[in-house]
Amino acid sequence: MNEIITSAISESTMDKLHILADSAKYDVACTSSGVDRKGQEGMLGNAKGCGICHSFGADGRCISLLKILMTNHCEYDCKYCINRKSNDIPRATFEPDELCQLVVEFYKRNYIEGLFLSSGVLKSPTYTMERMCEVLLMLRTKYRFNGYIHVKTIPGAGDDLLAVAGYLADRMSVNMELPTVESLKKLAPNKSFETILNPMSKIQSTISEHRLAIGKSSRMERAKGNRLLENSIFNQSRLEKKPDYYAGEEGLFIESNSIGEGIKLPTVSPRLILPGKEAVLSKADKLNRAFAPAGQSTQMIIGASDENDFNLIQTTQQLYQTYDLKRVFYSAYIPINEDSGLPSLDTPLPLLREHRLYQADFLMRYYGFRANELLSEEMPNFHTEIDPKCEWAIRHLEQFPVEVEKASYEILLRIPGIGPKSAMRIVNSRRYGHLSFESLKKMGVVLKRAHFFITCGGKQMYKTPIEQKYIFKQITSFEYKDNWKISHSNENYRQMNLFDDFGLSV
Amino acid sequence: MTVFSCADDFSAMMTCIYEAWSSRLGHDNVKLVREPIHQLELFTDYVHVEADSEKTESVVRSINQKISKGAYMWTFYASLSHEEDALDTIYRFLVLGFRYGACICQMLQNPVVMRMMELRRNVGNEAHLFVEFSRFTSINNGIYVSHIEPKNNCLISVANHFADRMISEYWIIMDDNRNLAAVHLPNEEFYIRNLTEDEATQLKMTEQFRDGFVAMWEEYFNTIAIKQRVNPVCQRNHFPEWMRKHAVEFLQSK
Ligand code: SF4
Repeated sequence: MNEIITSAISESTMDKLHILADSAKYDVACTSSGVDRKGQEGMLGNAKGCGICHSFGADGRCISLLKILMTNHCEYDCKYCINRKSNDIPRATFEPDELCQLVVEFYKRNYIEGLFLSSGVLKSPTYTMERMCEVLLMLRTKYRFNGYIHVKTIPGAGDDLLAVAGYLADRMSVNMELPTVESLKKLAPNKSFETILNPMSKIQSTISEHRLAIGKSSRMERAKGNRLLENSIFNQSRLEKKPDYYAGEEGLFIESNSIGEGIKLPTVSPRLILPGKEAVLSKADKLNRAFAPAGQSTQMIIGASDENDFNLIQTTQQLYQTYDLKRVFYSAYIPINEDSGLPSLDTPLPLLREHRLYQADFLMRYYGFRANELLSEEMPNFHTEIDPKCEWAIRHLEQFPVEVEKASYEILLRIPGIGPKSAMRIVNSRRYGHLSFESLKKMGVVLKRAHFFITCGGKQMYKTPIEQKYIFKQITSFEYKDNWKISHSNENYRQMNLFDDFGLSV
Repeated sequence: MTVFSCADDFSAMMTCIYEAWSSRLGHDNVKLVREPIHQLELFTDYVHVEADSEKTESVVRSINQKISKGAYMWTFYASLSHEEDALDTIYRFLVLGFRYGACICQMLQNPVVMRMMELRRNVGNEAHLFVEFSRFTSINNGIYVSHIEPKNNCLISVANHFADRMISEYWIIMDDNRNLAAVHLPNEEFYIRNLTEDEATQLKMTEQFRDGFVAMWEEYFNTIAIKQRVNPVCQRNHFPEWMRKHAVEFLQSK
């Protein structure tokens, strides 16, 4: 790092930072996970597969990346968005050097793990994406940045720019925002399913081609435990069959998996696509990078349109299966714009609903559950009082109690209060001796929940009936407090603070 | 009962294990502790052990060869623990390890193994917290200094992470309570150094240094939270109060 880099930070940088972070904050993804990369001499940074958080904001969300827009000018007018053309708000645009220096200096102080770059549509999608690629290229070459980069693609930008972005970034995302054609038409009139699913599909094909070329499997790595789960949504033999459940689901993007399928992005060198940038590349054109090694993700807004939870988790499952997404994020809709097509401004945030969807997402990614086991046409929404896993267990009491000394990993994972780690510990340790409730507890089993559903060495912990109403009542009695906290956490935080500060318990 | 005691460093602990073992007093008749010893007991013999590199090596080799690499990692991490019983637990764990072999790390229903897992997990978890939440101040245009106050002696583990992350930078991470510093020069391996009082006092002052990027980070931190979702309980669960002492974004005057 010997070359002298002149400071591009000016007095207006602070204002830009404020405006462009403020407009970026509604995007939920801030993870830096999915890729392991060692540091390199002469470069700055590395990447850890597990991801690293660096702080937690006042809203309790993790801050891992500098999540920022390149510009909040926008030609589009998506109803739900703060940056839409029709809003009268302060606007700003970063200079590439300015933004790069912020990233690098923040990174060295251990404030962040990298950059999450997104943008409003400036002039045209292609022009915008070009500018974004310029920032990324500069960051990787002039600033020798080897940390994490997540780039949000702009729907409608050309394929070659998508390709360039993929070579420079670790993760790419194309936001669905709305899970059905209908609500997309209504709320994001300048976008279409095609401009969302098309790039998603091309990115997926390109990622898998690159993975194969370096001797990996074509699909992204998933939590190890999934290999032991016959039922997992990631199970290869099931993936080959066409998904079975969405015939007749009107509005869901049924036919869409044919869009752009198998078409790869062009092979390009960033140098060709960004002419005039040779100077930047002269010294360090070692851009021999994997294509989006941390995969792609998307986000959906919850509660701005009428979809039910069943629609949402089916869509989620399909996104994992068809587009091999690494993550699907949900964001509780925050009413910021007045619009006839949107919920009114005083609508409470659906925080508990968002929480339930994330629970379901985990059950699908780590526990071998499938969307249609959790919900159905007849029961299209999650229960407010009880989490999806307990709910499933109570509906399937005929499968309980389970003897923990004998049950398979797959079955253990279905028991409320047992997670992938504790299930693995049970399976590994029981080969060498008997288990007890005491040792289960130490292994991380939440007995408060699990004890209704298990026996250990043939005995229940307490002699409780295995009966729906009884268990439901018991579990909801202690879950009530948690659920209440989740849905009211934002409104009543002052009170809760008081309780906490004075050591009172509610 | 004979108590073998030693200084709180890895080599001393391994030597202590060596001595206790080869004393042939019987595992049940020995106890291992790190100094200072807080409460002396009646009818007990005390033996102080000094670090010895050959004995350390022999213990390390035996663990790796006769038990497993994993068991050695557990031993190393547990030795960084601040818990009173860490050294004695390591000893009991190794006794079992030499009896059962590589599978010892899975025998979690055994209370000694379980305790051992807790010890190394606590150390690992704490080191991870500092990887996430430590902050560097830039002094002299390009030397980055960080201060941490871990409960466990996890400086090495934290420094290891930054050695890869900031491989070509100058940086120092100081453990303010133990007066230890990990010092890193560009493209070299870092080393751990015991600081003199003077050095320690000087280094502690670096934290008062602020530059424009600190203010910008505070601005970013304040802006990125969604006010409709403010949730201090959740924030506190993730970023505990005691960790905030060196995190600039929490030190702003409100
Ligand atoms: S394209 Fe739509 S969602 Fe994106 S910034 Fe513009 S208005 Fe907002």
